[in-house]
Amino acid sequence: MIYLDNAATTLQKPPGVRQAVLRAMERCANPGRGGHAAARLAEETVYRTRCLAAEYFGLEPEQICFTANATEGLNAALGSLAGTGDRVVISGLEHNAVTRCLTGLGARIVPVAAPLFSREAWLEAFDRALIPGTKAAACLHVSNVFGALLPVEEIGALCAARGIPFVVDASQSAGLLPVRPAAWQAAFVAMPGHKGLLGPQGTGLLLCRQQPRPLRFGGTGSRSVEQTMPEELPDRMEAGTLNVPGIAGLGAGLAWLRSRDPAALLAGERALLARAAEGLERLGARCYRGPGQTGVLSFRLPGLDCEEAAEAYGRRGIALRAGLHCAPLAHRTAGTLPEGTIRLSVSPMTRQPELERFLRVTGALLKKR
Amino acid sequence: MHDLYLTVRSVTPAQKGWDALLRAGLDCRMLRAPRQTAPKGCGYALALAVRDGAAALRVLDRAGVRVEGVWRRLPEGGFERSGMGL
Repeated sequence: MIYLDNAATTLQKPPGVRQAVLRAMERCANPGRGGHAAARLAEETVYRTRCLAAEYFGLEPEQICFTANATEGLNAALGSLAGTGDRVVISGLEHNAVTRCLTGLGARIVPVAAPLFSREAWLEAFDRALIPGTKAAACLHVSNVFGALLPVEEIGALCAARGIPFVVDASQSAGLLPVRPAAWQAAFVAMPGHKGLLGPQGTGLLLCRQQPRPLRFGGTGSRSVEQTMPEELPDRMEAGTLNVPGIAGLGAGLAWLRSRDPAALLAGERALLARAAEGLERLGARCYRGPGQTGVLSFRLPGLDCEEAAEAYGRRGIALRAGLHCAPLAHRTAGTLPEGTIRLSVSPMTRQPELERFLRVTGALLKKR
Repeated sequence: MHDLYLTVRSVTPAQKGWDALLRAGLDCRMLRAPRQTAPKGCGYALALAVRDGAAALRVLDRAGVRVEGVWRRLPEGGFERSGMGL
C-alpha cells in the first residue's frame, strides 16, 4: 500500500517505536503505583518520554501531560478557560475537536475568516476579533485540511497584550515545525502523539503553561488521602493508569525525530507536496496550495466525487482521505462545502516513487471517467 | 547508609530530583515514601546519606523540585523529622 493519509495518523513508524511498545508491554507495570522493579521501570520509561518531550518543546518535564489524543488535550485546555456564554475567538479552520468542544461548553464561538494562505490576513482577522470581553482564543498551527500555516506566534502576542489566554492545536505541525509554547505565549498547546511525533495511536500531549482544570478525576499514586485532585502537574491531569506502552513508543518516536535534521525533514516533505501538486495540476486537478503549506495537500479531480475518487484510489492500493476531515468549519471558510476535498498527506517515510505511482493512478482515473 | 529521606509529592518530582542528585554526584535512591513520612498517603522519597542532606536540598531547590519533608531514619526503627533545610 502507498500510504498518503499521514494527517490522520502516521502508519509507518521508525522500528524503535514498535520495539519500545513491546518492551513496555512485557516489562512495565503501573507507574507511581508500587515500589517493585516493574513499577520502577514503568516510572523510568514514562519519565524519559516526558523529558524528551520537555526538551523538544522547551518546557519543564512537569509541564508535559500525557493524554489519549489531541482532542482530549483540547477538551482539557478549552474546558479550563471557557464556559457557558463565554466569547471564544477561533480561526475559521478549526477541527471539530475545538468547535464541538466549545459547543458542548456552551461558549459563544467567534470564528474568524481569511484567505487560506495569507498570514497577514489571518493576523488582521484575529486583531479585529480579539476585543475586550473575549475569554479565550484558539487557533491551529497548521490546518489539517489545507496545510495552511497560521501565524500563531503573532496571534499569541496579540492575545498576551490583551490578557486573553491562548490555546494552540499543534496536531498537524508537531514533529514537523518548531512548536514553541513559550514563544507563542500560549496557555496550552495540544497535540497527538501518533501523527508527526511518530508514536502509537492512543497517545497525545498537553503542554501546560497555565494551571488546567482536570478533565478526569481519580487516582494519581500521590497524596491518596486527599479527595481533591492534586494541584501539581502532571498529576493533576493524569488520573488513572497511563498508556505506558504507548508512551514508551512515543518516546521512541521523539528520539527518532531528535536524531534527524528538522530542517531537512520539513524541506523533504514540502518538496514531496510540491511535486504532488504540480503533477496533479498538470492532470487538471484543482489543488489548494500556497506559501508555507506544510504536510497536507487538498485537491479535487474534475468530474469525480471526492469520496468515490478516494475509494478508487483505495482499490488501487493508495490510501488517501476524502470528505470533510472532521473540519466542516474549515471547508465553509474555504468554500469547499458540502463535498469537501481529497487530502494527501506525507510523512518522513513517504518516498518520491510512491508519489509518481499516485500520479500515474490519478491519470488513469481521470481517463476512465 | 541512606538514612535521610527527602519526601516529594509524587513520582514525577521524585524522578526529576533523582536525576538532578545523580547528576550532581550525590549517591541516592528513589523509593516509595514510608507511611510515617507521607501523612497524606502515597508519596515518594529520595534517600541519601545524612552528610549529603544540605547539598541535596540545594540541588533540588535549583532543579525546582519541592521537598515536602526531611526525615531521618532512627536506628531503632521509624523516622523523626529532621531540622535540616525547609
